[in-house]
Amino acid sequence: MILDLHTHSVKSDDGRAKVENYCKWIQKKQLPLDGFVLTEHRQFDADSDYRELEDRYGLVILKASEVETEYGHVLIYGVNDDLVNSFDFADVTNPLPMVLEAADRCGAFAAPCHPGRKNVGLFAHYLTKGAVDGVHTVEVLNGGSIPGEDELSVTRAAEFGYRGFGGSDSHIVSRIGYCATEFDDDIEDVDGLLNALRGGSFRPISLRGLADDRENGDQP
Amino acid sequence: MNDDRPAATQADLPAIRERWVGVEFDVATFEMEPGRMVAWATACGDTDPRFIDPTHPDFQAYPNFTSHCTTHRVLPDEFPKIGPGFGIDGGKTVDCLGPIRAGDVLTGAATIADIYDKTGRSGTMVFIVQRMTYHNQRGEHVSTVDWKMIRQL
Repeated sequence: MILDLHTHSVKSDDGRAKVENYCKWIQKKQLPLDGFVLTEHRQFDADSDYRELEDRYGLVILKASEVETEYGHVLIYGVNDDLVNSFDFADVTNPLPMVLEAADRCGAFAAPCHPGRKNVGLFAHYLTKGAVDGVHTVEVLNGGSIPGEDELSVTRAAEFGYRGFGGSDSHIVSRIGYCATEFDDDIEDVDGLLNALRGGSFRPISLRGLADDRENGDQP
Repeated sequence: MNDDRPAATQADLPAIRERWVGVEFDVATFEMEPGRMVAWATACGDTDPRFIDPTHPDFQAYPNFTSHCTTHRVLPDEFPKIGPGFGIDGGKTVDCLGPIRAGDVLTGAATIADIYDKTGRSGTMVFIVQRMTYHNQRGEHVSTVDWKMIRQL
């Protein structure tokens, strides 16, 4: 099963994609995605209900968050009321250890994203502030990366023994699926996603070429 | 004009937000002149006669017409200095809430709607959202324009 674990909709201040348009794009371009996770910036969108879209398009659509810390951005899956109330999602200076601890305590799963970004990614901060205990998984393939960043993420993640996953970080519809994560298990809901992430049976995949070809109208 | 005041830091932002969000700082009126309405719609590339033909029975302003109806002040007097220079334009979002007709006189009020920060490739950025709300001569709320100004800390 393939999920894009990092997408943004118009609920994010810089997102330009409506959720249904993601669904239409996946269907029209026949992308091999079984679903995607909405990771809105600095918030958790508790209100939106995408079950009707899931049924209509045969996709899994889950909700998560992308928060900001002193060590860069962090994706959190399995956000619940306890976690939302445990720290300020809008604060861009959250301490990473606090976010990791809060996620663990509340039954969520936190993982730094685009850690290979120059100056602002997790591994750049490691160089100046040292490594942080509690990191176990990072997004090693990110659809917004420039050349060299994902390579650095993969290398450094291996050095630290972190598991890696992929996500497109799409803010417009045509970018969804650039990177994604292949799971051995079937996932139908957030609990399934949490179990799969904790189980570790997943791998990052790049669909960048496929998505580009199909964006240009070339059907493989 | 040079602004020699010390620039605010990230630590100052909560107090700045508390002090300034919601403050209305300017009001201006705008007369909707059909020639300008047509010129705007044409510049936007629209050919719908509702927007480019003043004789059309449903002639009205193009939905984003109010995006250029600005007051003389970008920010309130005494608004703190955030980041170096003028920053960059983060774009405008226009909500079209009702038709704007030729001859309408809109009253636009400028408010600081939000101040928030975010981090990205280029570091920490502060977004200042200036909101213009437009009411016509009958008091009907016809448009809202949110203009984001981006400053880098």
